[in-house]
Formats: sequence, C-alpha cells, structure tokens
Amino acid sequence: MTSTSTALADAKDRGRQARKHRSLPYLPYLLPSVVLFACVIALPFCMNVFTSFNDWSGVGPMKWAGLANYRRLMHDSEFWASIWHSAALVAAMAVLPTIIGLVLAAALFDVIAKRFGPRVASILRACIYLPQVLPIVVAAIVWGWILDPQYGALNALLRAAGLGFLAHDFLGDPKTALLTVMAILVWFQLGYPVVIFMAALQRVDPALAEAAEIDGASWRQRLWRVTVPQIRPEIYVVLLTCTVASLRAFAWIYALTSGGPGTATQVPSYYSYISFFTNLDVGYGSAIATVLTLIIIVVAAVFLGAQRRHQAMAD
Amino acid sequence: MRRTRSTALLMAALAAATAGLAACGSSGGSSGGSSASGSKVLKIWWYESPGSAYQIAWDQAVTDFKRQHPGVTVQFSLKSFNQMQQNASMILNSSDVPDVMEYNKGDATTGLLSKQGLLTDLTAQATKYGWDKKLSPDLQVTARYSPKGVMGSGDWYGVSDYAEYLTVYYNKTMFAKYHIAVPTTFAQFTAAMADFVKDGVTPLANAGNDYMAMQYLYELELGKATPQDVQNYQRYTGPVNFHDAAWTGAAATFQSWVKQGYIAKDSVGLTATQAGNDFQTGKNPMMVSGSWWAGTFQSAIKNFQWGSFLWPGNTLNAGSGGNLFVVPKNAADKQLAYEFINDTLQPDVEAKLADNGAVPISASTSGVTNPQGMQLIQNFQTLANSNGLAYYPDWPTPSFYNTLLAQTQDLMNGASADQVLGTLQSTYDQYVNSLG
Repeated sequence: MTSTSTALADAKDRGRQARKHRSLPYLPYLLPSVVLFACVIALPFCMNVFTSFNDWSGVGPMKWAGLANYRRLMHDSEFWASIWHSAALVAAMAVLPTIIGLVLAAALFDVIAKRFGPRVASILRACIYLPQVLPIVVAAIVWGWILDPQYGALNALLRAAGLGFLAHDFLGDPKTALLTVMAILVWFQLGYPVVIFMAALQRVDPALAEAAEIDGASWRQRLWRVTVPQIRPEIYVVLLTCTVASLRAFAWIYALTSGGPGTATQVPSYYSYISFFTNLDVGYGSAIATVLTLIIIVVAAVFLGAQRRHQAMAD
Repeated sequence: MRRTRSTALLMAALAAATAGLAACGSSGGSSGGSSASGSKVLKIWWYESPGSAYQIAWDQAVTDFKRQHPGVTVQFSLKSFNQMQQNASMILNSSDVPDVMEYNKGDATTGLLSKQGLLTDLTAQATKYGWDKKLSPDLQVTARYSPKGVMGSGDWYGVSDYAEYLTVYYNKTMFAKYHIAVPTTFAQFTAAMADFVKDGVTPLANAGNDYMAMQYLYELELGKATPQDVQNYQRYTGPVNFHDAAWTGAAATFQSWVKQGYIAKDSVGLTATQAGNDFQTGKNPMMVSGSWWAGTFQSAIKNFQWGSFLWPGNTLNAGSGGNLFVVPKNAADKQLAYEFINDTLQPDVEAKLADNGAVPISASTSGVTNPQGMQLIQNFQTLANSNGLAYYPDWPTPSFYNTLLAQTQDLMNGASADQVLGTLQSTYDQYVNSLG
C-alpha cells in the first residue's frame, strides 16, 4: 500500500515537473505581451483606480478624497441615466444584431445561396458588412447630415413621399434621440454577426439539418433546434465582443449627439471623457472609468462562465 | 533557478519598457531656446484658423519680429482649439513647450493654469512694455488672475491684442424686404421678431448643441442683471441666485421665444457652424453671436447686405478681451516671447485686425475700409465706454459649458425652467464651494 502510494506520489511529482518543464520554454514568447499588458493596461488601470480616490484637476498635487467620488457617483442622476442608456446600447449593438444577424445569416446560407447561388449571397453579405469598414466618425457625421432636421435627406424624403407628418428632429428630441442612435448602431453592427455566423454555418454538418428536414422540421425549427446549438460558441463570442463594444461606445455619441439633447444620450464613457478633459474633474472621471471597467469585467466573466458551462454540458 | 531567471527577465523587460515610456514622456526637451546650429529659436503656437483676422494680424507680428531679430528662427505650429483646451495642462507640465502660445481666457482655462504654476507671471513685463496702459481696465480683467486663479485681480498671466463681444448680425436685405426697422429697444426687438414670424420667417439663427443657445439665455439675463450680479457670478464676490428675477425671467423668455417660433425648436441639435450657415444663406435674418464671426461673414456673404447692432436695451453685454498670449513656465526663451507679445500690440498689427473684421484693443477705426468692420468697432466703443462687458456665461466653472449646453437644450425641449435653474445652481455652488 505504502509503496503504491509512494509510486503514485512520484508519478504525480514527475507529471508536475514535466508540465513545468514543458511550459517554461514558452515563457519568453509570452513576455512581450505581458510587458505590453502591464504597461498599456494594468499600470494605467491601477493609476486610474488610485486617481479615482483623489480630487484632482489633472495637473498639480492630488488631494486625497477617499470614497467621495464614488459616493457622488451613487447620487449622480446623470451617471445612472448614462448606465441605462448603456443598457439600451447593449440591446442595439449586441442583442438585436445577434438575433437579426442569426436570421439573416441562416437566410443567406440556406435560402439565398441555394436559390440564387453563393455569389449573390456573398455580395449581400458584403453589403451588410460594409458599415463595419467605415470609420465610425465618418459614418456618424454622414448620419448627422441625413438626420439634419432642416436640410437632412431623411426628412426631405419623407416630405417628398407625402409623409411630412413623420418628419422630425430625430436627434434633437429627447424622446427619439436614443432610439435613433440605437437604430444607427443596429445598422452599423449587423454585418459583424452575419459574417461570423455565416462562417460558423459552414462547419455545421448538413446531414443534421437534412435529417431534421426529413423528419418534418420547419426551417424555423431547424434553425432553432439544430443550427443554433451547433454554432453556440460563435454566438457567445459575438455577444461578448458586441456587449463589451457597446459598453465602451464613445465615438458614435461624441460625433452624433455629444450626449444630448440634455443628457438624453449620455453614456458612461462619454461622461468620463467630459469629466476628464472638459470639466477637469479627473478624480471623478477616473471613478466613472473604474466603475465602467468593473462592469465590463463582470459582464465578460458572466459570458465566459456561461460559455464554459454550456461547453462542459455539451462535452 | 529557471523560474528565478524568468522572473528576473520579466522584471528587466518591464523596467526597460517603463524606462522607455518615461524617456518618451520626457524626450524632446530641447524646447525652443536654440537650435542644433546654435541660432536662437522662438516657438509660437496658436489655434486661429488660416484666413481669420487673427491669423492675418499675427502673421504681421511674426514678420515684424523677424525683421527686428534677424538671427532668430521662428517656429510656428498651428494647433486646434480642442487640442489646446483638452491637453494644455499636460503639455505645459512637460518640458516640450512653446515659448509663447495662444490660450483661452477665463478662470477655467488661463486661471487654472496660472493657479497650477504653469504660466509665467508677466506683471513686470506689463509695466516695462506699457501693456498695462494699452489694455483698458475692462480688458485687463481677463489678463490678470489671483493666486486662486480667479480673473480680475492679481498678476498678469496673459495679454490679448483684441477684444470680442456678442452682437446681433442682421440681414439688411431681408429687413428691407419685410419692411422691418432695425430695433433699438428690447420691445422693438421682440416686435421685429414677431413680424418676421408672421411672414413665415424664423428670425434668429441658433445652435442648441453649441455655445449659441446659452448666449441667448445670458443676454436675456443681462437685460435685468446689475454689474454687481455679473461680478458675483463671474468672480464669486457674492452669492448667486439662479432663481432671482433676472435668471427666471431669462429662462421664461427664452422658452417663450422657442414656443413663439423666434428660435426654431429643431435647432436644438445644431452646431454653431450650422447656425452660421443658416444666417449666411438667408434662412434666418438675425444671428446673435460673437464678433469673431464678422471676418467670416465679410468674406463669405456676397448676395445680401448685412450689418450688426448691439443687443437692444442692454447696458451689459457678453464680451471681454480676446484670447491671450501666455508664456509657459518652462519656456526656453522668455525674453523673445515677451518681445513677440509686444509686437502683437503694435499699430500695424492692430490695423490688420481692424481691417479684417476683428476688434483691436485700441478700438481704433483708423484705416478700416469696410463699413461692417467700422460698425463692429464703434459698437465695441459704446460698450467699453459704458463698462458694459459682462464676459461669457460658461466661464465661472470648468463644467459650466457642458451644463449650460445640456440645460438650454432641455429648456428648448420644454423642461421646467425651475428644474433647469436648479441644476445650474447646484453645479455652480458645488464648484464655488470646492474653491474653499
């Protein structure tokens, strides 16, 4: 018994040492990334967290403020409004594009490609993806022109079509500003899930869908019961990356609305920027940035955890 | 052992990278002073756009400076307003700074930099070169800052060679077409706007997503404010009540103007450039904005006659000395910087300002060839003679520009005036209390 235990312990030890030796040669290759991560992300983040506990204008001595900036944050209606707006942007940049993208990708792959050929499907896919290659600020400025209440193409089109009663100051009215931004973001983001899902559909075994079809499953049932479970890893990746992107959304707000009218489209990233650079309230801006980072980390952890659980169940 | 070596390697790489970053941060230390060849260099930064009156005039100052200093190389860099507004503190805290640069006047800008010790005290130079005689007391307000960074008293930290103020630009052709007289009282002003509305014309160009809407609000407030109210608001010399008659009246009138169509409701998302275009294209017959627009209108408006008049009925009017030339604390050759600043105040440079649509500090009309420029300077003389300059609404706190912008947008969209003024009050009080 003792000799068996000793043998097992020796074997475990050898295994551990072997793993250690196997991993060591890779360390130098990790170094550049570790150094970059430390300098570009970890160090500035730590400095940001430290700054958030101070009252500071950006230059000169910092004044220790403890949790004052966070207490202020808790009672700041503009900050909470910005969090809700961020949630709306998650819907616009992650949830809606994922759902619509899934349907579109399946339609392009299953219907368009089969009826009109893969070339037509590719062209349509490229058209849907096109907004993704546009610089955000350029796209935002063009949308600003289109939606201009006085000279904009959209209102002109509505008036020309006899639908003048629908003409509106879409970005200037607090009731429609956020919805308008959301609609633009859906247009912008849609191409990304479509491309990812179409690539994912290539690796799904067609025999599964054919078998389901023979069994009498409709297209919707095949999509939901057969295809979606097969491409779940891609769905997680799309949801995670789009959610993180939506929480960080800055350029669209900066170029389209500046957070207005009033604070109708304010989001945490823009609010943090304004606090840093315009209001010179660097401590408060840091507190907003820190909370935003924590939210992103939590969201990412939840997604990755869910993905791991599903993966474990599938295995 | 390997682990130790790996850790050591990691630490070494980190140290090297950090040192590299630090080196990047402090590189470029040879700011101005002398070039590699040993000759002297004057580094100048400003952010006025090419073709503007200021750029034309300051180019003249550079020419004059070069003539007086043949051995000095002038290195000029054109910056953007945002670049300077957002990064000035960080730039001036480094060693790579210009010798002289344009910067915004006011507590939240030059005042803040002076408080942080990033600017050179120019008091001795102001006396030596006679700048304290050239700038009237009203214009000196934005040049001098207390140790707390509050304008109006204390040492000199900047010098401006021009003035600016809000004025009403009007389309003479449209006024004639609709048989509307140029108003001289506030009642006539509102009557003229009502007449334009009856004719289906929105009288005032506006930009809710820029500085214009807040300037309308401020002009309305100044109509009922006293000089002491202005001092209290701008220099924290006494309590400020945003629920007094002046502010509540201004908010109510502004909202009613939007309701009555004097200001287009759908201008809430527009920028100042768009509002300027609306005036230039004859969409709106009037635009209330800064004298800095005059040069643009002078060159851009060809198809109608235009002029300007002071906001009717106000003794107090938004305005001040212009942007300042400041000398960073770390400037390499301060003496050259002082001499350049002095050149910007000479008659030939002032004449260039006046003739290209700006208001020189001397407010002299000699040599001005265009009638609009003449009118602009004469109106400024009227204001200056009555000590009517009341600065700008967003100056009191660094965050007030954004606060006023958002709150005037809310006013245009029908928010409660009481709530809007309450937000202004709390933001203002929070900052003033933080000053101690």
